Amino acid sequence: MHPQNKIEPRHTASFAMNTLLEIKNLHATIGGKEILKGVDLTIRAGEVHAIMGPNGAGKSTLSAVLTGNPAYIVTEGEVWLKGKNLLEMPAEQRAREGVFLSFQYPVEIPGVSMVNFMRVAVNEKRAYEGKPALSATEFLRLMREKKALVEMADKLNNRSVNEGFSGGEKKKNEIFQMAMLEPCLSILDETDSGLDIDALRIVSNGVNKLKTKENASIVITHYQRLLDYIVPDYVHVLADGRIVKTGSKELALELEEKGYEWLNN
Amino acid sequence: MVEQLIHTGERIDLVISDQEALDTVFVQEANSTLRIHLFRITKDGQPFNLNDTLHIRHDGTGCRTEIYALFLLRGTDKAALHTRVCHDKGQGTSAQIVKFILADEAQGEFFGEMTIAQDAQKVEAQQSNRNLLLSDTAVMRTRPQLEIYADDVKASHGASTGQLDESSLFYMQQRCLSREEGRRLLLRAFMADVVDTVEDEKKRQELMDAIDGII
Ligand SMILES: Nc1ncnc2c1ncn2[C@@H]1O[C@H](COP(=O)(O)OP(=O)(O)OP(=O)(O)O)[C@@H](O)[C@H]1O
Ligand SMILES: [Mg+2]
Repeated sequence: MHPQNKIEPRHTASFAMNTLLEIKNLHATIGGKEILKGVDLTIRAGEVHAIMGPNGAGKSTLSAVLTGNPAYIVTEGEVWLKGKNLLEMPAEQRAREGVFLSFQYPVEIPGVSMVNFMRVAVNEKRAYEGKPALSATEFLRLMREKKALVEMADKLNNRSVNEGFSGGEKKKNEIFQMAMLEPCLSILDETDSGLDIDALRIVSNGVNKLKTKENASIVITHYQRLLDYIVPDYVHVLADGRIVKTGSKELALELEEKGYEWLNN
Repeated sequence: MVEQLIHTGERIDLVISDQEALDTVFVQEANSTLRIHLFRITKDGQPFNLNDTLHIRHDGTGCRTEIYALFLLRGTDKAALHTRVCHDKGQGTSAQIVKFILADEAQGEFFGEMTIAQDAQKVEAQQSNRNLLLSDTAVMRTRPQLEIYADDVKASHGASTGQLDESSLFYMQQRCLSREEGRRLLLRAFMADVVDTVEDEKKRQELMDAIDGII
Protein backbone atom coordinates (compact mmCIF):
# COMPACT_ATOMS: atom_id res chain seq x y z
CA MET A 1 0.00 0.00 0.00
CA HIS A 2 0.92 3.64 -0.19
CA PRO A 3 3.09 4.99 2.57
CA GLN A 4 1.21 7.74 4.40
CA ASN A 5 4.30 9.48 5.66
CA LYS A 6 5.95 12.31 3.83
CA ILE A 7 8.43 11.19 1.27
CA GLU A 8 11.88 12.68 1.62
CA PRO A 9 13.39 14.48 -1.35
CA ARG A 10 15.70 12.49 -3.53
CA HIS A 11 19.26 13.73 -3.34
CA THR A 12 20.74 13.92 -6.78
CA ALA A 13 23.01 16.60 -8.07
CA SER A 14 21.44 16.47 -11.51
CA PHE A 15 18.09 17.62 -10.16
CA ALA A 16 17.89 21.26 -11.12
CA MET A 17 16.65 23.50 -8.33
CA ASN A 18 13.73 24.93 -10.22
CA THR A 19 12.51 21.69 -11.75
CA LEU A 20 9.01 21.18 -10.46
CA LEU A 21 7.84 18.08 -12.28
CA GLU A 22 9.76 15.43 -14.11
CA ILE A 23 7.92 12.72 -16.05
CA LYS A 24 10.09 9.95 -17.45
CA ASN A 25 8.94 7.27 -19.87
CA LEU A 26 5.49 7.07 -18.32
CA HIS A 27 3.33 4.15 -19.40
CA ALA A 28 -0.18 3.57 -18.05
CA THR A 29 -3.11 1.29 -18.72
CA ILE A 30 -6.80 1.24 -18.00
CA GLY A 31 -8.96 -1.82 -18.39
CA GLY A 32 -5.92 -3.69 -19.65
CA LYS A 33 -5.46 -1.23 -22.51
CA GLU A 34 -2.24 0.79 -22.77
CA ILE A 35 -3.09 4.48 -23.10
CA LEU A 36 0.14 6.24 -22.15
CA LYS A 37 3.01 4.80 -24.13
CA GLY A 38 6.09 6.57 -22.85
CA VAL A 39 5.48 10.21 -21.89
CA ASP A 40 8.50 12.40 -21.11
CA LEU A 41 8.00 15.92 -19.82
CA THR A 42 9.93 18.30 -17.61
CA ILE A 43 8.27 21.36 -16.10
CA ARG A 44 10.13 24.10 -14.27
CA ALA A 45 8.71 26.52 -11.75
CA GLY A 46 7.10 29.55 -13.38
CA GLU A 47 6.25 27.79 -16.63
CA VAL A 48 2.98 27.21 -18.45
CA HIS A 49 2.82 24.12 -20.66
CA ALA A 50 -0.04 23.62 -23.06
CA ILE A 51 -0.95 20.10 -24.13
CA MET A 52 -3.01 19.67 -27.25
CA GLY A 53 -3.83 16.57 -29.23
CA PRO A 54 -6.60 14.57 -30.83
CA ASN A 55 -9.56 13.15 -28.92
CA GLY A 56 -8.66 9.96 -27.15
CA ALA A 57 -4.91 10.66 -27.31
CA GLY A 58 -4.51 10.24 -23.55
CA LYS A 59 -4.51 13.84 -22.26
CA SER A 60 -7.05 13.23 -19.52
CA THR A 61 -5.38 9.91 -18.79
CA LEU A 62 -2.14 11.78 -18.14
CA SER A 63 -3.97 14.11 -15.69
CA ALA A 64 -5.58 11.13 -13.99
CA VAL A 65 -2.28 9.29 -13.64
CA LEU A 66 -0.46 12.36 -12.30
CA THR A 67 -3.14 12.93 -9.69
CA GLY A 68 -3.29 9.29 -8.61
CA ASN A 69 -6.66 8.13 -9.89
CA PRO A 70 -6.73 4.50 -8.71
CA ALA A 71 -8.55 3.38 -11.86
CA TYR A 72 -5.31 3.66 -13.84
CA ILE A 73 -2.27 1.42 -13.55
CA VAL A 74 1.22 2.76 -14.13
CA THR A 75 3.20 -0.01 -15.80
CA GLU A 76 6.49 1.80 -16.39
CA GLY A 77 8.23 5.09 -15.78
CA GLU A 78 8.74 7.65 -13.04
CA VAL A 79 7.25 10.95 -11.94
CA TRP A 80 9.07 13.29 -9.58
CA LEU A 81 7.51 16.36 -7.98
CA LYS A 82 10.12 18.66 -6.45
CA GLY A 83 12.30 15.60 -6.13
CA LYS A 84 9.66 13.48 -4.42
CA ASN A 85 8.39 10.26 -5.92
CA LEU A 86 4.85 11.19 -6.88
CA LEU A 87 3.78 7.72 -7.95
CA GLU A 88 4.29 6.36 -4.43
CA MET A 89 1.80 8.80 -2.93
CA PRO A 90 -1.95 8.22 -2.58
CA ALA A 91 -4.10 10.74 -4.42
CA GLU A 92 -4.81 12.94 -1.39
CA GLN A 93 -1.13 13.25 -0.57
CA ARG A 94 -0.36 14.40 -4.11
CA ALA A 95 -3.09 17.02 -3.69
CA ARG A 96 -1.63 18.12 -0.35
CA GLU A 97 1.80 18.36 -1.98
CA GLY A 98 0.19 20.88 -4.31
CA VAL A 99 -0.93 18.98 -7.39
CA PHE A 100 -4.32 20.26 -8.51
CA LEU A 101 -6.54 19.02 -11.30
CA SER A 102 -9.29 21.10 -12.78
CA PHE A 103 -11.39 18.19 -14.02
CA GLN A 104 -12.61 17.98 -17.61
CA TYR A 105 -15.85 16.69 -16.11
CA PRO A 106 -16.20 17.92 -12.50
CA VAL A 107 -18.14 15.49 -10.33
CA GLU A 108 -21.46 16.37 -8.72
CA ILE A 109 -21.66 15.39 -5.05
CA PRO A 110 -25.23 15.80 -3.79
CA GLY A 111 -25.60 16.41 -0.09
CA VAL A 112 -22.06 17.69 0.48
CA SER A 113 -22.06 21.47 0.71
CA MET A 114 -19.42 23.48 -1.09
CA VAL A 115 -18.55 25.43 2.08
CA ASN A 116 -18.11 22.35 4.20
CA PHE A 117 -16.13 20.59 1.50
CA MET A 118 -13.74 23.50 1.06
CA ARG A 119 -13.29 23.92 4.80
CA VAL A 120 -12.16 20.32 5.13
CA ALA A 121 -10.00 20.56 2.00
CA VAL A 122 -8.17 23.73 3.02
CA ASN A 123 -7.61 22.57 6.58
CA GLU A 124 -6.33 19.17 5.46
CA LYS A 125 -3.77 20.88 3.27
CA ARG A 126 -2.80 23.22 6.09
CA ALA A 127 -2.44 20.33 8.53
CA TYR A 128 -0.16 18.57 6.05
CA GLU A 129 1.97 21.72 5.87
CA GLY A 130 2.06 21.90 9.66
CA LYS A 131 -0.16 24.98 9.80
CA PRO A 132 -3.07 25.42 12.21
CA ALA A 133 -6.65 25.19 10.94
CA LEU A 134 -8.26 28.45 9.86
CA SER A 135 -10.80 30.00 12.20
CA ALA A 136 -14.35 30.37 10.89
CA THR A 137 -13.78 34.06 10.20
CA GLU A 138 -10.47 33.55 8.44
CA PHE A 139 -11.98 30.80 6.34
CA LEU A 140 -14.96 32.91 5.26
CA ARG A 141 -12.67 35.80 4.41
CA LEU A 142 -10.57 33.49 2.24
CA MET A 143 -13.69 32.17 0.52
CA ARG A 144 -14.88 35.68 -0.23
CA GLU A 145 -11.52 36.78 -1.56
CA LYS A 146 -11.14 33.76 -3.86
CA LYS A 147 -14.71 33.86 -5.06
CA ALA A 148 -14.15 37.41 -6.20
CA LEU A 149 -11.18 36.24 -8.24
CA VAL A 150 -13.40 34.16 -10.50
CA GLU A 151 -16.49 36.36 -10.04
CA MET A 152 -18.39 33.40 -8.69
CA ALA A 153 -21.98 33.92 -7.57
CA ASP A 154 -22.57 33.72 -3.82
CA LYS A 155 -25.45 31.30 -4.15
CA LEU A 156 -23.17 28.57 -5.50
CA ASN A 157 -21.44 28.18 -2.15
CA ASN A 158 -24.59 27.20 -0.33
CA ARG A 159 -25.27 24.44 -2.80
CA SER A 160 -23.93 20.92 -2.90
CA VAL A 161 -20.63 20.41 -4.70
CA ASN A 162 -21.30 21.03 -8.42
CA GLU A 163 -24.87 19.80 -8.08
CA GLY A 164 -27.04 21.40 -10.70
CA PHE A 165 -24.23 23.78 -11.71
CA SER A 166 -24.19 24.69 -15.38
CA GLY A 167 -21.21 23.52 -17.42
CA GLY A 168 -19.56 26.93 -17.17
CA GLU A 169 -20.30 27.27 -13.44
CA LYS A 170 -18.60 23.94 -12.82
CA LYS A 171 -15.46 25.11 -14.59
CA LYS A 172 -15.45 28.37 -12.63
CA ASN A 173 -15.89 26.38 -9.47
CA GLU A 174 -12.81 24.34 -10.32
CA ILE A 175 -10.71 27.48 -10.64
CA PHE A 176 -12.21 28.82 -7.42
CA GLN A 177 -11.07 25.66 -5.65
CA MET A 178 -7.67 26.00 -7.26
CA ALA A 179 -7.46 29.52 -5.82
CA MET A 180 -8.43 28.22 -2.38
CA LEU A 181 -5.77 25.50 -2.40
CA GLU A 182 -2.91 27.47 -3.99
CA PRO A 183 -1.31 24.51 -5.75
CA CYS A 184 2.27 24.41 -7.02
CA LEU A 185 1.22 22.44 -10.09
CA SER A 186 -2.19 22.92 -11.63
CA ILE A 187 -3.46 20.80 -14.46
CA LEU A 188 -6.34 22.41 -16.28
CA ASP A 189 -8.11 19.78 -18.35
CA GLU A 190 -10.21 21.58 -20.96
CA THR A 191 -11.19 24.25 -18.48
CA ASP A 192 -12.19 26.41 -21.46
CA SER A 193 -14.80 24.03 -22.83
CA GLY A 194 -18.30 25.14 -21.94
CA LEU A 195 -17.25 28.67 -20.97
CA ASP A 196 -18.92 31.62 -22.62
CA ILE A 197 -16.74 34.48 -23.90
CA ASP A 198 -16.92 36.51 -20.69
CA ALA A 199 -16.40 33.48 -18.48
CA LEU A 200 -13.38 32.46 -20.54
CA ARG A 201 -11.82 35.87 -19.91
CA ILE A 202 -12.69 35.82 -16.20
CA VAL A 203 -11.40 32.30 -15.65
CA SER A 204 -8.20 32.99 -17.61
CA ASN A 205 -7.63 36.18 -15.62
CA GLY A 206 -8.10 34.17 -12.45
CA VAL A 207 -5.53 31.62 -13.58
CA ASN A 208 -3.09 34.36 -14.56
CA LYS A 209 -3.47 36.09 -11.21
CA LEU A 210 -2.64 32.84 -9.45
CA LYS A 211 0.57 32.47 -11.44
CA THR A 212 3.79 32.94 -9.49
CA LYS A 213 7.48 32.23 -10.02
CA GLU A 214 7.12 29.15 -7.81
CA ASN A 215 4.20 27.41 -9.44
CA ALA A 216 3.47 26.00 -12.87
CA SER A 217 0.51 24.88 -14.94
CA ILE A 218 -0.34 22.30 -17.54
CA VAL A 219 -3.13 23.58 -19.73
CA ILE A 220 -4.94 20.96 -21.79
CA THR A 221 -7.02 22.45 -24.56
CA HIS A 222 -8.32 21.93 -28.06
CA TYR A 223 -8.48 25.63 -28.86
CA GLN A 224 -5.79 28.12 -29.59
CA ARG A 225 -8.10 30.86 -28.29
CA LEU A 226 -7.48 29.96 -24.63
CA LEU A 227 -3.75 30.35 -25.22
CA ASP A 228 -4.29 33.98 -26.20
CA TYR A 229 -5.33 34.50 -22.58
CA ILE A 230 -3.12 32.01 -20.80
CA VAL A 231 0.12 32.31 -22.75
CA PRO A 232 2.12 29.09 -22.72
CA ASP A 233 5.90 28.81 -22.67
CA TYR A 234 5.64 25.48 -24.47
CA VAL A 235 3.04 23.71 -26.55
CA HIS A 236 3.13 19.92 -26.70
CA VAL A 237 1.20 17.61 -28.92
CA LEU A 238 0.12 14.37 -27.28
CA ALA A 239 -0.92 11.76 -29.80
CA ASP A 240 -1.47 8.07 -29.25
CA GLY A 241 -0.01 8.15 -25.76
CA ARG A 242 3.20 10.01 -26.52
CA ILE A 243 4.37 13.59 -26.84
CA VAL A 244 5.08 13.72 -30.55
CA LYS A 245 5.96 17.38 -30.92
CA THR A 246 6.95 20.30 -28.72
CA GLY A 247 7.12 23.90 -29.78
CA SER A 248 6.50 27.47 -28.74
CA LYS A 249 3.08 29.11 -28.63
CA GLU A 250 3.17 29.49 -32.42
CA LEU A 251 2.76 25.73 -32.69
CA ALA A 252 -0.79 26.13 -31.43
CA LEU A 253 -1.57 28.48 -34.30
CA GLU A 254 -0.09 26.06 -36.76
CA LEU A 255 -2.16 23.21 -35.32
CA GLU A 256 -5.30 25.29 -35.50
CA GLU A 257 -4.64 25.82 -39.17
CA LYS A 258 -3.44 22.39 -40.22
CA GLY A 259 -4.91 19.95 -37.69
CA TYR A 260 -2.91 17.00 -36.44
CA GLU A 261 -2.61 14.91 -39.59
CA TRP A 262 0.57 16.57 -40.88
CA LEU A 263 2.45 15.49 -37.75
CA ASN A 264 2.28 11.88 -38.89
CA ASN A 265 4.51 12.52 -41.85
CA MET B 1 -48.77 -7.65 17.31
CA VAL B 2 -49.44 -4.50 19.30
CA GLU B 3 -52.18 -2.23 18.03
CA GLN B 4 -51.97 1.48 18.55
CA LEU B 5 -54.76 3.86 17.71
CA ILE B 6 -54.16 7.38 16.51
CA HIS B 7 -57.24 9.45 17.09
CA THR B 8 -58.96 11.82 14.71
CA GLY B 9 -56.80 14.86 14.02
CA GLU B 10 -54.02 13.66 16.30
CA ARG B 11 -50.36 13.94 15.38
CA ILE B 12 -47.82 11.44 16.61
CA ASP B 13 -44.10 11.74 16.09
CA LEU B 14 -41.99 8.75 17.12
CA VAL B 15 -38.25 8.30 17.07
CA ILE B 16 -37.33 4.70 17.71
CA SER B 17 -33.73 3.73 18.26
CA ASP B 18 -33.78 1.20 21.09
CA GLN B 19 -32.93 -2.42 20.47
CA GLU B 20 -36.45 -3.85 20.81
CA ALA B 21 -37.92 -5.31 17.66
CA LEU B 22 -41.00 -3.45 16.50
CA ASP B 23 -44.18 -5.40 15.96
CA THR B 24 -46.92 -2.85 15.80
CA VAL B 25 -49.93 -1.90 13.77
CA PHE B 26 -50.89 1.75 13.85
CA VAL B 27 -54.50 2.40 13.07
CA GLN B 28 -55.06 5.97 11.97
CA GLU B 29 -58.40 7.72 12.29
CA ALA B 30 -59.42 10.53 9.96
CA ASN B 31 -56.99 13.43 9.45
CA SER B 32 -54.40 12.03 11.80
CA THR B 33 -50.66 12.24 11.21
CA LEU B 34 -48.06 9.65 12.03
CA ARG B 35 -44.36 10.24 11.66
CA ILE B 36 -41.97 7.45 12.52
CA HIS B 37 -38.20 7.53 12.49
CA LEU B 38 -36.64 4.14 12.92
CA PHE B 39 -32.89 3.84 13.52
CA ARG B 40 -31.07 0.55 13.67
CA ILE B 41 -27.47 1.33 14.35
CA THR B 42 -24.89 -1.36 14.92
CA LYS B 43 -23.40 -1.66 18.40
CA ASP B 44 -19.98 -2.86 19.40
CA GLY B 45 -19.90 -6.33 20.86
CA GLN B 46 -23.41 -7.63 20.32
CA PRO B 47 -24.35 -8.56 16.76
CA PHE B 48 -27.72 -7.44 15.62
CA ASN B 49 -30.52 -9.76 14.68
CA LEU B 50 -33.75 -7.83 14.44
CA ASN B 51 -36.96 -8.16 12.51
CA ASP B 52 -39.12 -5.07 12.58
CA THR B 53 -42.72 -5.22 11.49
CA LEU B 54 -44.55 -1.98 11.02
CA HIS B 55 -48.12 -1.91 9.76
CA ILE B 56 -50.17 1.17 9.13
CA ARG B 57 -53.87 1.26 8.40
CA HIS B 58 -55.75 4.36 7.33
CA ASP B 59 -59.16 3.85 8.89
CA GLY B 60 -60.37 7.35 8.09
CA THR B 61 -59.88 9.77 5.21
CA GLY B 62 -57.14 12.41 4.97
CA CYS B 63 -54.47 10.59 7.00
CA ARG B 64 -50.76 11.29 6.64
CA THR B 65 -48.02 8.79 7.26
CA GLU B 66 -44.30 9.36 7.04
CA ILE B 67 -41.85 6.53 7.64
CA TYR B 68 -38.12 7.14 7.76
CA ALA B 69 -35.83 4.22 8.45
CA LEU B 70 -32.06 3.98 8.59
CA PHE B 71 -30.14 0.76 9.09
CA LEU B 72 -26.42 0.98 9.67
CA LEU B 73 -25.08 -2.53 9.98
CA ARG B 74 -21.73 -4.27 9.95
CA GLY B 75 -20.00 -7.46 11.07
CA THR B 76 -22.56 -10.26 11.07
CA ASP B 77 -25.50 -7.97 11.82
CA LYS B 78 -28.83 -8.92 10.32
CA ALA B 79 -31.93 -6.80 10.14
CA ALA B 80 -35.20 -6.90 8.29
CA LEU B 81 -37.97 -4.38 7.98
CA HIS B 82 -41.44 -5.24 6.84
CA THR B 83 -43.75 -2.31 6.26
CA ARG B 84 -47.35 -2.63 5.22
CA VAL B 85 -49.26 0.54 4.51
CA CYS B 86 -52.95 0.01 3.87
CA HIS B 87 -54.78 2.94 2.42
CA ASP B 88 -58.29 1.75 3.20
CA LYS B 89 -59.75 5.27 2.96
CA GLY B 90 -59.25 8.07 0.47
CA GLN B 91 -57.38 11.40 0.44
CA GLY B 92 -54.52 9.97 2.46
CA THR B 93 -50.81 10.25 1.86
CA SER B 94 -47.92 8.03 2.79
CA ALA B 95 -44.21 8.47 2.21
CA GLN B 96 -41.54 5.96 3.10
CA ILE B 97 -37.81 6.48 2.92
CA VAL B 98 -35.91 3.35 3.86
CA LYS B 99 -32.12 3.18 3.71
CA PHE B 100 -29.66 0.45 4.55
CA ILE B 101 -25.91 0.88 4.80
CA LEU B 102 -24.25 -2.51 5.01
CA ALA B 103 -20.61 -3.23 5.70
CA ASP B 104 -18.65 -6.45 6.20
CA GLU B 105 -21.01 -9.43 6.09
CA ALA B 106 -24.11 -7.59 7.22
CA GLN B 107 -27.44 -8.60 5.74
CA GLY B 108 -30.45 -6.42 5.24
CA GLU B 109 -33.93 -7.06 4.02
CA PHE B 110 -36.76 -4.74 3.17
CA PHE B 111 -40.23 -5.93 2.34
CA GLY B 112 -42.49 -3.01 1.55
CA GLU B 113 -46.17 -3.63 0.95
CA MET B 114 -48.60 -0.92 -0.04
CA THR B 115 -52.24 -1.43 -0.76
CA ILE B 116 -54.78 1.09 -1.91
CA ALA B 117 -58.37 -0.10 -1.54
CA GLN B 118 -60.90 0.25 -4.31
CA ASP B 119 -62.73 3.27 -2.92
CA ALA B 120 -59.65 4.96 -1.49
CA GLN B 121 -59.46 7.66 -4.15
CA LYS B 122 -57.00 10.60 -4.27
CA VAL B 123 -54.37 8.73 -2.33
CA GLU B 124 -50.70 9.59 -2.77
CA ALA B 125 -48.33 6.84 -1.73
CA GLN B 126 -44.57 6.83 -2.16
CA GLN B 127 -41.94 4.35 -1.20
CA SER B 128 -38.22 4.65 -1.71
CA ASN B 129 -35.60 2.14 -0.69
CA ARG B 130 -31.97 3.02 -1.31
CA ASN B 131 -29.09 0.94 -0.04
CA LEU B 132 -25.33 1.16 0.05
CA LEU B 133 -23.11 -1.87 0.19
CA LEU B 134 -19.68 -1.08 1.59
CA SER B 135 -18.25 -4.53 1.00
CA ASP B 136 -18.53 -7.34 -1.52
CA THR B 137 -19.84 -9.68 1.14
CA ALA B 138 -22.75 -7.58 2.40
CA VAL B 139 -26.16 -8.66 1.16
CA MET B 140 -29.35 -6.70 0.61
CA ARG B 141 -32.73 -8.08 -0.37
CA THR B 142 -35.52 -5.77 -1.41
CA ARG B 143 -39.09 -6.65 -2.23
CA PRO B 144 -41.58 -3.91 -2.96
CA GLN B 145 -45.18 -4.96 -3.44
CA LEU B 146 -47.94 -2.64 -4.56
CA GLU B 147 -51.58 -3.55 -4.80
CA ILE B 148 -53.68 -0.76 -6.17
CA TYR B 149 -57.42 -1.16 -6.64
CA ALA B 150 -58.47 2.50 -6.87
CA ASP B 151 -58.00 4.42 -10.12
CA ASP B 152 -57.55 8.05 -9.11
CA VAL B 153 -54.33 7.69 -7.10
CA LYS B 154 -50.64 8.42 -7.34
CA ALA B 155 -48.36 5.66 -6.23
CA SER B 156 -44.67 5.29 -6.78
CA HIS B 157 -41.85 3.18 -5.54
CA GLY B 158 -38.18 2.99 -6.28
CA ALA B 159 -35.42 0.74 -5.07
CA SER B 160 -31.70 0.81 -5.70
CA THR B 161 -28.68 -0.83 -4.19
CA GLY B 162 -25.19 0.38 -5.01
CA GLN B 163 -21.76 1.26 -3.75
CA LEU B 164 -20.11 4.54 -2.85
CA ASP B 165 -19.35 6.44 -6.01
CA GLU B 166 -15.67 6.00 -6.89
CA SER B 167 -15.51 9.14 -9.01
CA SER B 168 -16.82 11.23 -6.09
CA LEU B 169 -14.25 9.68 -3.77
CA PHE B 170 -11.45 10.44 -6.20
CA TYR B 171 -12.67 14.01 -6.70
CA MET B 172 -12.54 14.52 -2.93
CA GLN B 173 -9.08 12.97 -2.67
CA GLN B 174 -7.98 15.36 -5.40
CA ARG B 175 -9.11 18.12 -3.02
CA CYS B 176 -6.88 16.87 -0.18
CA LEU B 177 -9.45 14.70 1.63
CA SER B 178 -8.43 11.18 2.60
CA ARG B 179 -10.63 8.36 1.32
CA GLU B 180 -11.95 7.88 4.86
CA GLU B 181 -13.00 11.53 5.13
CA GLY B 182 -14.57 11.41 1.69
CA ARG B 183 -16.40 8.25 2.63
CA ARG B 184 -17.70 9.88 5.80
CA LEU B 185 -19.01 12.92 3.91
CA LEU B 186 -20.72 10.72 1.31
CA LEU B 187 -22.31 8.53 3.99
CA ARG B 188 -23.58 11.56 5.89
CA ALA B 189 -25.04 12.94 2.68
CA PHE B 190 -26.69 9.60 1.98
CA MET B 191 -28.33 9.49 5.41
CA ALA B 192 -29.31 13.15 5.54
CA ASP B 193 -32.97 12.88 4.53
CA VAL B 194 -33.60 10.35 7.30
CA VAL B 195 -31.54 12.05 10.00
CA ASP B 196 -32.34 15.69 9.23
CA THR B 197 -36.09 15.12 9.36
CA VAL B 198 -35.95 14.24 13.07
CA GLU B 199 -37.62 17.29 14.58
CA ASP B 200 -36.42 16.88 18.16
CA GLU B 201 -33.08 18.62 18.07
CA LYS B 202 -31.62 16.84 21.07
CA LYS B 203 -32.49 13.42 19.72
CA ARG B 204 -31.17 14.33 16.30
CA GLN B 205 -27.85 15.35 17.81
CA GLU B 206 -27.65 12.14 19.84
CA LEU B 207 -28.29 10.09 16.73
CA MET B 208 -25.75 12.02 14.70
CA ASP B 209 -23.16 11.47 17.41
CA ALA B 210 -23.93 7.75 17.51
CA ILE B 211 -23.65 7.56 13.72
CA ASP B 212 -20.43 9.58 13.62
CA GLY B 213 -18.96 7.21 16.17
CA ILE B 214 -19.40 4.41 13.69
CA ILE B 215 -18.71 5.77 10.22
N1 LIG C 1 -12.07 2.20 -18.74
C1 LIG C 1 -11.47 2.26 -19.95
N2 LIG C 1 -11.19 1.12 -20.62
C2 LIG C 1 -10.61 1.15 -21.84
N3 LIG C 1 -10.26 2.29 -22.45
C3 LIG C 1 -10.51 3.45 -21.82
C4 LIG C 1 -11.12 3.50 -20.54
N4 LIG C 1 -11.23 4.80 -20.17
C5 LIG C 1 -10.71 5.52 -21.19
N5 LIG C 1 -10.27 4.72 -22.17
C6 LIG C 1 -9.67 5.13 -23.45
O1 LIG C 1 -8.49 5.83 -23.21
C7 LIG C 1 -8.22 6.68 -24.32
C8 LIG C 1 -7.68 8.00 -23.83
O2 LIG C 1 -8.74 8.73 -23.21
P1 LIG C 1 -8.49 10.19 -22.62
O3 LIG C 1 -9.73 10.57 -21.91
O4 LIG C 1 -7.22 10.22 -21.90
O5 LIG C 1 -8.37 11.03 -23.97
P2 LIG C 1 -8.20 12.62 -24.16
O6 LIG C 1 -6.93 12.83 -24.89
O7 LIG C 1 -8.39 13.32 -22.90
O8 LIG C 1 -9.42 12.93 -25.15
P3 LIG C 1 -10.42 14.20 -25.25
O9 LIG C 1 -9.71 15.22 -26.05
O10 LIG C 1 -11.58 13.66 -26.00
O11 LIG C 1 -10.76 14.65 -23.88
C9 LIG C 1 -9.50 6.75 -25.13
O12 LIG C 1 -9.35 6.00 -26.31
C10 LIG C 1 -10.53 6.13 -24.20
O13 LIG C 1 -11.52 5.48 -24.93
MG1 LIG D 1 -9.81 14.56 -22.12
